[in-house]
Amino acid sequence: MSQKFENLSALIDGEQLSSDDVIEAVKGDADLMQKWKSYHLIRDGLRKELPTELNFDIAANVAQALENEPAILAPKKTWRELPLVSSVIPFAKQGGQMAVAASVAVAMILGVQQMNQTDVEQPFNAAPPILGIKGGLSPVSFEQTRTAPKTDAIEQKRRIQAYLIDHKEQMRFKTFQAPVVDSDVLPIEETPINEGAESDIVESTPE
Amino acid sequence: MLKVLQNKLNGRALLALLFFVNVSTHLHAQPEPLNPQLTQEEIEQYPVDSAQAWLTKMSQASRSLNFSITFVLLKPGVDSQPYLWRHGVTAEGIEMEELNLLNGAGKKALRVDKKVSYFEPNVPPYSLVSTTINGPFPSQFFRYPEKLFVGYDLVMVGKSRVSGRAAQQIRIISKDKSRYGLNVWLDQETGLLLKMNMFNLKNQLLEQIQVTGLQVTEQPDPFFSKIEIGMLPEVVNIEQNKKIRSPWQIGYLPVGMELVNRKLRRLSITSEVVEYVMLSDGLVDISLYIQENVKSKTTGRLVGANQTDTLFTIQNGPLNITIIGKIPAATANAIATSIQRQP
Repeated sequence: MSQKFENLSALIDGEQLSSDDVIEAVKGDADLMQKWKSYHLIRDGLRKELPTELNFDIAANVAQALENEPAILAPKKTWRELPLVSSVIPFAKQGGQMAVAASVAVAMILGVQQMNQTDVEQPFNAAPPILGIKGGLSPVSFEQTRTAPKTDAIEQKRRIQAYLIDHKEQMRFKTFQAPVVDSDVLPIEETPINEGAESDIVESTPE
Repeated sequence: MLKVLQNKLNGRALLALLFFVNVSTHLHAQPEPLNPQLTQEEIEQYPVDSAQAWLTKMSQASRSLNFSITFVLLKPGVDSQPYLWRHGVTAEGIEMEELNLLNGAGKKALRVDKKVSYFEPNVPPYSLVSTTINGPFPSQFFRYPEKLFVGYDLVMVGKSRVSGRAAQQIRIISKDKSRYGLNVWLDQETGLLLKMNMFNLKNQLLEQIQVTGLQVTEQPDPFFSKIEIGMLPEVVNIEQNKKIRSPWQIGYLPVGMELVNRKLRRLSITSEVVEYVMLSDGLVDISLYIQENVKSKTTGRLVGANQTDTLFTIQNGPLNITIIGKIPAATANAIATSIQRQP
């Protein structure tokens, strides 16, 4: 019993040379399959690589749901199958189906409307904002995730370009000599580099 | 259940427990570093074979070895950028370092001890006084890795093979989950960098540095002996003005992040004067701009991305605050909304 776990553990650690036997054993043994899963989980945990959401055993959950599903049996013969009644019922049924279809459509429309509503109070758009890295080669290219009114857009863009250029410049001119020591009063400098040199560098900004 | 657990402990999957057992054998297997005195002293602060010791070893190696490394920088949406990175210590003990972008017109930076000279197209060459070259690497990663220990958790992940060499993988994750993380692979023999991945909080890759060639030599590269130190461009003067207290106080900073620079700037396009703050945690440097009473109505919240930089703007009372840097937008929001008038 413990030997088979031992072999599996060694395999997962990459210490087992002949892996075929162990994998064959795992295929035919539910205990080992469980171990296989938990060993990998432990490893991911140790490496801090666990995903943000843990969804184990989707297949098992589905299987369980099917298990609990009530069996569908063939219906008994009833009075509905009398000739007259059976020809009336389809009408009623169709009407019912129409009603169901209509209500589904209404529900969908409501749902779509709700989904398209933007939450004004929300600080960010629902889509993750950082991922739109399509900046291209220009250092001042910038993608906006929220549209500003048209008249202000140009002004806004100008300001953002100015910030981006200045950020690039700051990154270029930063210097480090030793780990920074905490100090209470911080010096405030006025435009550190003389204007001439500054504009030269701004013009180029390659990359 | 207990028995299973016991089996597990006896097994080898819980590598972490065995680090301590492995230590003695592993230590003897390591080659002697070039500068044993300093290395021993520096590494002994940390448990042997800990991530801290490995990063210290990396720092020591990149300051003391004569090496020539080629690597490629990969960013989404941008062409790959190949670099040549050379380092040497001359017979007089002067440290020299070169970083050279190999594609296109090229950009080149040369460091001689504490003077870094930059040669770039369309810009007159200039020099700065600094111990690190501003390049694609995290600014202080190689020089002062201990700065990371404050704000980041370091996890030894395991050994693997990168660039054809045996590598030790280390994961660097911010303690408060407020910044991006790093995966680094270090050469087991020398401690030099082989690969570096930056990933966001969802473990998606943002930026990658992959070393393609690594050579360590006895003597520094002949290239360094050709440099005429006297011919290097002059140091750009950064004038220190009188110290003024800013009326604004930043209430929230992520763990390990601190203020490294604060000054007033005139923006080049709009000619507006803004207060500039640089924040750094040793891994990322971010810019924070504070502007009071903006005349135009072009304010409001805005989130965007420029390559791997996040750009975040918010109107906070009378202040227009903009943050740019490699941090998640939620962190930028937390910093920006915490700014208040000094009591």
